[in-house]
Amino acid sequence: MSKRAPHRWRPAAINLMIVAALMSVLSFLPPDTSLSDRQRSGVLKLCVPQSFPPLVTGDPNAPGYDVELAGAVAEALGLRLTVNVLPSIGRDYNPRNWSLTRAQCDVVGGGVADTPQTRSFMQTIPTQARTGWVGISRTGALPPEGQTIAVLPGTSGMDRLALSGWLRQQRLRAQAVRGPAELNQALQSGAAAAAITERFVAAGLDLDPSAFQMFWLEGDTFASFPMALGVWKGDQTLSRAVGAALAELESSGALEHMRERYGVGSDLGANRS
Amino acid sequence: MSPIILLRGIYAIWLREITRATRDRAQLIGGVSRPLIWLLILGVGLNPYFRGEVYGEVRFVIPYTYLQFLFPAVIVLNIMYTSIQFAVSVIWDREFGFLREVLVSPMPRPLILLGKVLGGSTIAMIHGGLVLILARFADVTLTLGQMFVALGLMFVLAFGLTSFGVLLAARVRSFEGFGVFSNTIILPLYFASSSVFPLDPALTRTQMVTAYPEWLVFLVQINPITYAVDALRGVLIGFNQFPPTYGWAVIAAMAVVFFLVALIDFSRS
Repeated sequence: MSKRAPHRWRPAAINLMIVAALMSVLSFLPPDTSLSDRQRSGVLKLCVPQSFPPLVTGDPNAPGYDVELAGAVAEALGLRLTVNVLPSIGRDYNPRNWSLTRAQCDVVGGGVADTPQTRSFMQTIPTQARTGWVGISRTGALPPEGQTIAVLPGTSGMDRLALSGWLRQQRLRAQAVRGPAELNQALQSGAAAAAITERFVAAGLDLDPSAFQMFWLEGDTFASFPMALGVWKGDQTLSRAVGAALAELESSGALEHMRERYGVGSDLGANRS
Repeated sequence: MSPIILLRGIYAIWLREITRATRDRAQLIGGVSRPLIWLLILGVGLNPYFRGEVYGEVRFVIPYTYLQFLFPAVIVLNIMYTSIQFAVSVIWDREFGFLREVLVSPMPRPLILLGKVLGGSTIAMIHGGLVLILARFADVTLTLGQMFVALGLMFVLAFGLTSFGVLLAARVRSFEGFGVFSNTIILPLYFASSSVFPLDPALTRTQMVTAYPEWLVFLVQINPITYAVDALRGVLIGFNQFPPTYGWAVIAAMAVVFFLVALIDFSRS
């Protein structure tokens, strides 16, 4: 009886499959301990600014889109959410001065924009909201050169350096303010002819709509960005788990419900004039 | 000789190289052990030193994790080793007389070399392509299109490096000598290619030389492998430290120049 010779490529194919299977198995190894550490402690720490409506409101009944989202993610991961409110967030042009550390936060929310600048420090997980720089003035336009502009950079991680460079180019005097109240006061008192801040900060200001108009800053420097939850760069396993939990919430329709509740639609960027 | 017969000749030489390399299980496993060491051990080991600790602190200011940054470089390393070490087969064939038998055949020498280089390039591309399986581990999300472009880039890079390996083999007469010689070329080229540390693209040259000594910045900038790694980073993670066309141009130029020089050498031998 003659034995059929194996196909020419069979040994090569078997060897390649063995190696590919070995690599596939190894690709499932966890690259860090970020998720297992959280699971051991049973807590997921979320850092947010004091107020960033509608993402962070401070209202216990409707704490904000990002806070509820993080709560749902924590629940999906079997963890308890702890919200750390840090008033330092957004108070300075340089985010290093916010003193936001790994020890305080596992996840950062309440105004994190998914930009290359943010991704230099954190891994971002988009949450379907969008933001960008907006101007506020009585005329609905920026004042002529030489005037003072109150600037509240906010927490979003948008390019603050580009904004300050642009303001210098426009020969406008930038006056950094420390919070929404100070911004409000600068506008109301006339100390600043106009203000520039982040879209959600502007939406939360208590301004008379008949006296002040909001407008998007135009030009390539001021593109709108998706909002995100930030996880520390290098916390791969936690980032994957948060991403997977968000995807699950999206497919169950829970995210859609939250977006409707807080008015955070994916078409927020389309509101730009 | 008709073109069909010439093509069959090239195919026969290519097939011999492929069969020899893929049937050798130890060689295949050895080939993938490098990316495993670099990515799973070095990448994971160094990850805590490159991760975010304080928001806004300048440590590793590129918008990717260290594993994502390292991933394309590990593929290039695997291709470099497989391509250049492939030249051992040229020495082997020369030592045991197979090359002589092929050279006395009616096949033109350039086509014999082309068959061998294509074989070596295919093997190196397979070794590079196998690393793509670890994309999940490094958190690199790939589309089918990205994978095809990356494999094409790997093949052209492997073609140039295999030709370079053949050039080296013509100058080194023993297996032992080649092993040592190839390591002294591969590792410095790899380490000086911005593979394991980034030259921050946001920095000017003046700022860069305050982070690294000027001689190192110079070495990185004149090293062709820097641009190969950069091109693959552009395809796999969308990050370029140099204008994206540089990488493609350097890889194409390496393939053409090294093959032509290897051809001159091979025709003389």
